[in-house]
Amino acid sequence: MQRFIPVRKLLSETKYSLRRQRRCFSQVARNEVDNSDGFVHKLPPFDYSPPPYTGPSADEIISKRRKYLSPAMLTLYSKPLNIVDGRMQYLFDDKGRRYVDAFGGIATVCCGHCHPDVVEAIVNQTKRLQHSTILYLNHTIADFAEALGNKLPGNLKVVFFTNSGTEANELAMMMARLYTGCHDIISLRNAYHGNALGTMGATSQSIWKFNVIQSGVHHAVNPDPYRGVFGSDGEKYARDVPDLIQFGTSGNIAGFISEAIQGVGGIIELAPGYLPAVYSTIKKAGGLCIADEVQAGFARTGSHFWGFENHGVVPDIVTMAKGIGNGIPLGAVVTTPEIAAVLTRRCYFNTFGGNPVCTAAGLAVLKVIEKEKLQENAFVVGTYLKERLTALKDKYDLIGDVRGRGLMLGVELVTDRKLKTPATLETLHIMDQLKETGVLVGKGGIYGNVFRITPPLCFTKGDADFLVDAMDHIMGKM
Amino acid sequence: MAMLQRRILKRTLEEAKARFNFNCNRIRSTCSSFSKVTSSSAAAAGTASDNVLPQLPPFDYHPKPYNGPSADEILAKRKKFLGPSLFYYYQKPLNIVEGKMQYLYDESGRRYLDAFAGIVTVSCGHCHPEILNAIVEQSKILQHATTIYLHHAIADFAEALASKMPGNLKVVYFVNSGSEANELAMLMARLYTGSLGMISLRNAYHGGSSNTIGLTALNTWKYPIPEGEIHHVMNPDPFRGVFGSDATRYAKEVQDHIEFGTSGKVAGFIAETIQGVGGAVELAPGYLKQVYDIICKAGGVCIADEVQTGFGRTGSHYWGFETQGVIPDIVTMAKGIGNGLPLGAVVTTPEIASVMAQKIQFNTFGGNPVCSAGGLAVLRVIDKEKRQAHCADVGSHLIGRLRSLQEKHEIIGDVRGRGLMVGIELVTERKEKTPAKAETAILFEKMRELGVLLGKGGLHGNVFRIKPPMCFSKDDADFLVDALDYAMSKL
Repeated sequence: MQRFIPVRKLLSETKYSLRRQRRCFSQVARNEVDNSDGFVHKLPPFDYSPPPYTGPSADEIISKRRKYLSPAMLTLYSKPLNIVDGRMQYLFDDKGRRYVDAFGGIATVCCGHCHPDVVEAIVNQTKRLQHSTILYLNHTIADFAEALGNKLPGNLKVVFFTNSGTEANELAMMMARLYTGCHDIISLRNAYHGNALGTMGATSQSIWKFNVIQSGVHHAVNPDPYRGVFGSDGEKYARDVPDLIQFGTSGNIAGFISEAIQGVGGIIELAPGYLPAVYSTIKKAGGLCIADEVQAGFARTGSHFWGFENHGVVPDIVTMAKGIGNGIPLGAVVTTPEIAAVLTRRCYFNTFGGNPVCTAAGLAVLKVIEKEKLQENAFVVGTYLKERLTALKDKYDLIGDVRGRGLMLGVELVTDRKLKTPATLETLHIMDQLKETGVLVGKGGIYGNVFRITPPLCFTKGDADFLVDAMDHIMGKM
Repeated sequence: MAMLQRRILKRTLEEAKARFNFNCNRIRSTCSSFSKVTSSSAAAAGTASDNVLPQLPPFDYHPKPYNGPSADEILAKRKKFLGPSLFYYYQKPLNIVEGKMQYLYDESGRRYLDAFAGIVTVSCGHCHPEILNAIVEQSKILQHATTIYLHHAIADFAEALASKMPGNLKVVYFVNSGSEANELAMLMARLYTGSLGMISLRNAYHGGSSNTIGLTALNTWKYPIPEGEIHHVMNPDPFRGVFGSDATRYAKEVQDHIEFGTSGKVAGFIAETIQGVGGAVELAPGYLKQVYDIICKAGGVCIADEVQTGFGRTGSHYWGFETQGVIPDIVTMAKGIGNGLPLGAVVTTPEIASVMAQKIQFNTFGGNPVCSAGGLAVLRVIDKEKRQAHCADVGSHLIGRLRSLQEKHEIIGDVRGRGLMVGIELVTERKEKTPAKAETAILFEKMRELGVLLGKGGLHGNVFRIKPPMCFSKDDADFLVDALDYAMSKL
């Protein structure tokens, strides 16, 4: 049974205090400390113990990775973590230590690691038929496409299955270009849409863009409420788009693509009013509006199923991946029958796309989200977590901004609140310390100074408390 | 509802079979003789007559009863929710619900010989127990965490894959498909050389994404979008190419493209050793050696697309490019790599890989524990069950029998390929090589009725592609050839 020491009560009483005093935990219950100095909070209870790990050690893996995998393959942490087991919102390392997974394999594991319903669907289908392609019929792809189509508004009913978000966005961009007969696409600065040659053009952070030709994409001013020049005035930012169109293109464009909340870019919610204004402009220029729901989709924002719904718009094409399959390699593009028809001009085929196992998993995911009311949970726990993080911001100058929605939250660290100087080193340090404490978060933003909190949607208030308390403790010692 | 439909389907099949038998008896006098009838089933055998339908080799397995939606229901949903561009095989599409090794089962439980392996993808066999076990066990432990954490599966698999490669090809990038792999290879080539121009062969297929469409060179697969600088050189096609099997003259054409169509320097050259979608066209012998030399002199890198020919399928070698005696700079693979798991890979040298370190390149799903575990199991099965040798053995038997069939039926213009990557090109006229499109379509349907699922390819859709799971046996080969013989005799 967990025991939270009276210090916790002390914390809540001084929630709005502007004092940045060190919390002195050392005098209290020293014998409860099991990891970093002074942090006595325990992980929320969880009834599961992973089987003992007998595979290669972390060092052996690192040595093989250096030899046989990309030299640029990055790992988080100064001492990389060997993750061997996962259950719901927790991950386990090779020593059997449990961690709160506040990153979700990059907003990908939405129902929970090895969620029994999803695993059952995968295992049962794998034992029957893994792969045959759409050249033959199979009910799983049809059933999943129907269920997915039913989750979308308007006439967004036709589904194309791919194997990743990059493939989905590539297809969406190609369809927009074919449908309109135009080539120019507008995306937002700080966006991430993929790493193939077309999507690399739409991605707009130099660290992700290689020095190869990426044509036909124009990058509009980012409606960033925290760092943007117009604050939260969405309509002011939106004026950049007609300018780009009038001066940088023939006046007609293929389309516009954006995330509702930028993920890799550091959990940046587009300023309110931005999307409706831009969608209107794009339509006038004959273009299509593409909503990249790879991270914000599938109930993650809590208030709505899809990120774009938070902005009161209906796109022409929606792309998705990551959470769609709880981790199985799967992506999708959903659009109207009208737009879908462009692909009939030639043959389009995706060998693995829509295979029985992945679509069975996808359908199971939709059912779990509904059955376990994960959208509501994301809303309730996410709101609670954001409140606690906002309180933490009042306590530490280091926290420049707390933002996001539901269980897609970001905490931006700065060394100076006025200048908003990115606290890149501090972010790395805290992230490492969080891991030592038992919390795994993600990192983002072009300066690498934003914590990305995108856990599996079964995340609880207990997990949220543990995360915030850990952060509090670590920042308190800095 | 499903039960009723199953009964109706069973009755329809029986009626169709009865019709076949009736027709057999009617044209007994004109029917060609069968070279061999598999002795295993008793059913309609009677005397070893010309008119006995070829029978599937026996197989000790019973599929689970199917209680899902019917073919018609599925088709209706597909039309509504999956769009009109999602095409399918056969006038009356087949509802495939289960697979085991080299066989597939439809909703009525009828068994078919899978001679296409989900497009050269199911390399070890449908639901192969060892691979199944690896996938299931890993799915229960950890599906996904990404490479930002360590996990042994990706490292072990990369090591095993690299050990199958010659030369200095040892750095592996995991992706989710062949298109993704070829996209990455193109990016590497352009970064490494600083040049833009890519060269690919006419009749090639390298992917369906917007940039691999540029490398793909078959108009039916190319949407009208900008491609960047891509040169499509003459295809060294021994059957249809103007220079026959003269590799040198085809290679000279590449030299011409570079000298007259580029700055003199190119980013790279990409080719399949045996073109898949293009109709199982084997590149003229000696071609790659000469072209690799030319490309190297032009500062370019050589990319071998092993998406279909890799993993022992050609029988004589593990990788297709080895049949041409070359070592590429970059190798791409997918399809058979995971026996059907969504998985692809790019293998290259540390030198080329180092240019990728300039920026961040990350693939969320790539190298995930389940696909890596599945991939490693595939490599082990191929070795343990000596699949490569098996492909050589069964493949040469199959090709031998098909060549005999070619002597018997004028419609067979060419039999080609290697191991279990075989193509049969049908022509209405042997001199002109006029593609027998309609006949191919008819025979394709007939073969399905007889219980053989083939693939189709070539720009004119007149090539049967035979690329089964690599556990395909000589009996299966005999059944296939007998069925083809039977069907062709009835044309």
